[in-house]
Amino acid sequence: MKLTKVMKGVLAAASIALVGSFAQAQQAGGSLVFLVQPEPPTMAGYVSTSGPIGLLGPKIYDGLVDYDNDGKIVPMLAESVDVSPDGKTITFNLRKGVTWHDGEPFTSEDVQFTIMDVLKKVHPRGPNSFKEVTSIDTPDAHTAVFNLGNPAPYMLRALSSYESPMVPKHHLEGQDIKSAKLANNPVGTGPFKFVEWKKGQYMRLDKNENYWREGRPYLDRIVGRFVPDASTRAAAMEKGEVLYAAYNAVSNVEAVRLNKEKDNISVTTDGYSMINPMALLEFNTKEGPFTDASVRRAISTAIDRQYMIDTIFFGYGKPATSALSSNFSATGLHAVMPNYPANGDVAAANKILDDAGYARDGNGVRMKAMFDLIPYGEDWKRGGQYIQQVLGEIGIQVELRYEDVPTWLKRVYHNYDFEMNLNYFYQLSDPVLGVHRHYGTNMIRKGTHFVNSSRYSNPELDALLSAGMTTPDATKRAAIYLDIQNILANDMPVVNLFELEFLVVYNTKLKGAYGSAMGAYASFGDAYLD
Amino acid sequence: MADFWKRFSRNRQAVLGLVILCVVIFVAAIANFIFPTDPFLYSKFPLSAPGENGFLLGSDSIGRDVASGIAHGAKTSLLIGLIATLAAVFIGVIFGAFAGYYGGIVDDILMRITEVFQTIPSFVFAILLVAIMKPSIESVVIAITVVSWPAVARLVRGEFLGLKNREFVQACHTLGMSDLRIMLAEILPNCLSPIIVIGSLMVATAILIESGLAFLGLGDPNVMSWGFIISDGRSMLRVAWWICTFPGIAILITVLAINLVGEGLNDALNPRLRERN
Repeated sequence: MKLTKVMKGVLAAASIALVGSFAQAQQAGGSLVFLVQPEPPTMAGYVSTSGPIGLLGPKIYDGLVDYDNDGKIVPMLAESVDVSPDGKTITFNLRKGVTWHDGEPFTSEDVQFTIMDVLKKVHPRGPNSFKEVTSIDTPDAHTAVFNLGNPAPYMLRALSSYESPMVPKHHLEGQDIKSAKLANNPVGTGPFKFVEWKKGQYMRLDKNENYWREGRPYLDRIVGRFVPDASTRAAAMEKGEVLYAAYNAVSNVEAVRLNKEKDNISVTTDGYSMINPMALLEFNTKEGPFTDASVRRAISTAIDRQYMIDTIFFGYGKPATSALSSNFSATGLHAVMPNYPANGDVAAANKILDDAGYARDGNGVRMKAMFDLIPYGEDWKRGGQYIQQVLGEIGIQVELRYEDVPTWLKRVYHNYDFEMNLNYFYQLSDPVLGVHRHYGTNMIRKGTHFVNSSRYSNPELDALLSAGMTTPDATKRAAIYLDIQNILANDMPVVNLFELEFLVVYNTKLKGAYGSAMGAYASFGDAYLD
Repeated sequence: MADFWKRFSRNRQAVLGLVILCVVIFVAAIANFIFPTDPFLYSKFPLSAPGENGFLLGSDSIGRDVASGIAHGAKTSLLIGLIATLAAVFIGVIFGAFAGYYGGIVDDILMRITEVFQTIPSFVFAILLVAIMKPSIESVVIAITVVSWPAVARLVRGEFLGLKNREFVQACHTLGMSDLRIMLAEILPNCLSPIIVIGSLMVATAILIESGLAFLGLGDPNVMSWGFIISDGRSMLRVAWWICTFPGIAILITVLAINLVGEGLNDALNPRLRERN
């Protein structure tokens, strides 16, 4: 009894000491400890778009530009951007006096190398984003001129430090980019320098004293902590050991509770508008039980999207109404399609399967299938169990499979050894960047993650996707995407379930970390502790 | 038999354990009648407290009935415990019998193999095995079997070592009986009591290992078990205490009951303890 009291006292003292060290900070100084979940595989954001890399990478690497909460372009490494009237020449005027963390100067050669030799070749989305870039001229050290085959307005939305980090040519030139040492010892131009990576525990970044923005960053240090257990993460947030958690590092149920019970903890859905995440089902359209589009339509019809949002994600989310997120309504591209009922219609789904001639056997089973679940935690497992039940109601008996991340990625994107897969994709700020990769025939890239694993191939759709890429006129573009959404609502190689609304859970002591549309994937140069 | 029962019932706790165990088995047996629907069936009433919306023990995050889960989970837990134990005893008896009976090089080889398994911490080993195979009910049973049999092997070897030079075994040799027949028909029946005792205790351990694996997310996602409910409800402990608590109590009393029964069996079957009281 006595011992526990002493222990409690020690723990309380320790947590006061921790909180105290934050509280001393005024505008400048102090350490920000935040949650990174899961631990990133590497820090090579130029090779992998894996989420946790995005939480730390943009603190170390800068992009050419950033985007504010209204989506407007904010200068970063590029002081200004000039687009020629025909849209085929884009000139970036680079900031002078910027140096890499190792002291070497940042020049237009780095930009040329990053785009042409790194992002266009090894980045998962780079080949699409920079497809039209044929060459980059470097008339002087501070000017980079992009020459495009066709106008590509969407490209200007893909230049953030998360999507297209500028990397040092002198650390990668002449090496195999995918296995270069830079992956674990990042050297950028960003506000924070990489110091230490204690595997399984934390990554420490210290203030870059020579940062090109005067007086920034405010913070002396950023520490990303890796805590595998969900309850421990929530407890760390509650105790004030960590001040910031994004991308469901603190689960929605705990976030809602903390927001309600704690005065100093708040919750926001801001900071994800450029990410635009969509929960979905991918189908193997080449082999197995889901080669028939009518079965996929029946599944889309049966699932109660609103129920999944309400129970599993505690109300955060919006039912999907087409292949495109409703966030694209702002640009006029989104349209509401049939076959996406918000509340699910089991009777209608049964009718689709009856009409298609799938008879039930003695146990009421029409077909059996394997159902893989994205191994990103229990929310997804529960979602899978719900879908399993609903599919049972329409005579599709599925068995759930929940593996570790590498096995799952290999199964779905290397071996195509799956039938139905619960997943989520980032639709990003333009369909060209985030949506085309699910459906284009050119995006059937064996071994590349998060592309067209359904192996859906439709020449008519391919033509429309190409037109969507190169048509700058908004009205014409909307018409093209209406056709695209109609085809996809009928063929459904992927069934979109709902637009995820991730939360940021933060301690109100942390200020200035919310000014970028990139949210948690931003540089945090303006963040400070109050 | 009556004699056995008399000795068993002398241990009050063992009788209590047996009663509890019978209740658990009964609930498992009638689970399909009292909760005829799938325990995974969702409802429109997530996170109902016990008693609310007709859920005796509350509902979980997608409105599944915790009581139904516990009843159906009892079936899973008991079956896994039983099957894994039978398999472990089978393998353990074979290893132990041959090692103890033949001695020498056979003993050396078999016991070194056994020791390899014994040196790895059993729960960590079970996690590793399930992680390598895909999490399914079969792989869980295999993992529990693999980590459990060495104890049986060592016990059986000891018994065989002690019995193989006794007069009745030598008599069998003189009669010209085959080794296999001597082992199976003569020696094995004489060491059944300790095997039954260790087996009964292993059922309890197996249930705990299964729950532990499910708790860590390594259970079969298609099968309802106690560990599964706890693992699912763990992150909601602060919001909905009932999801974890009731299956936790179920595990506690079942494991306790099996241990008490095992203790009682030990008292009843161990000849050296017969006159203890």
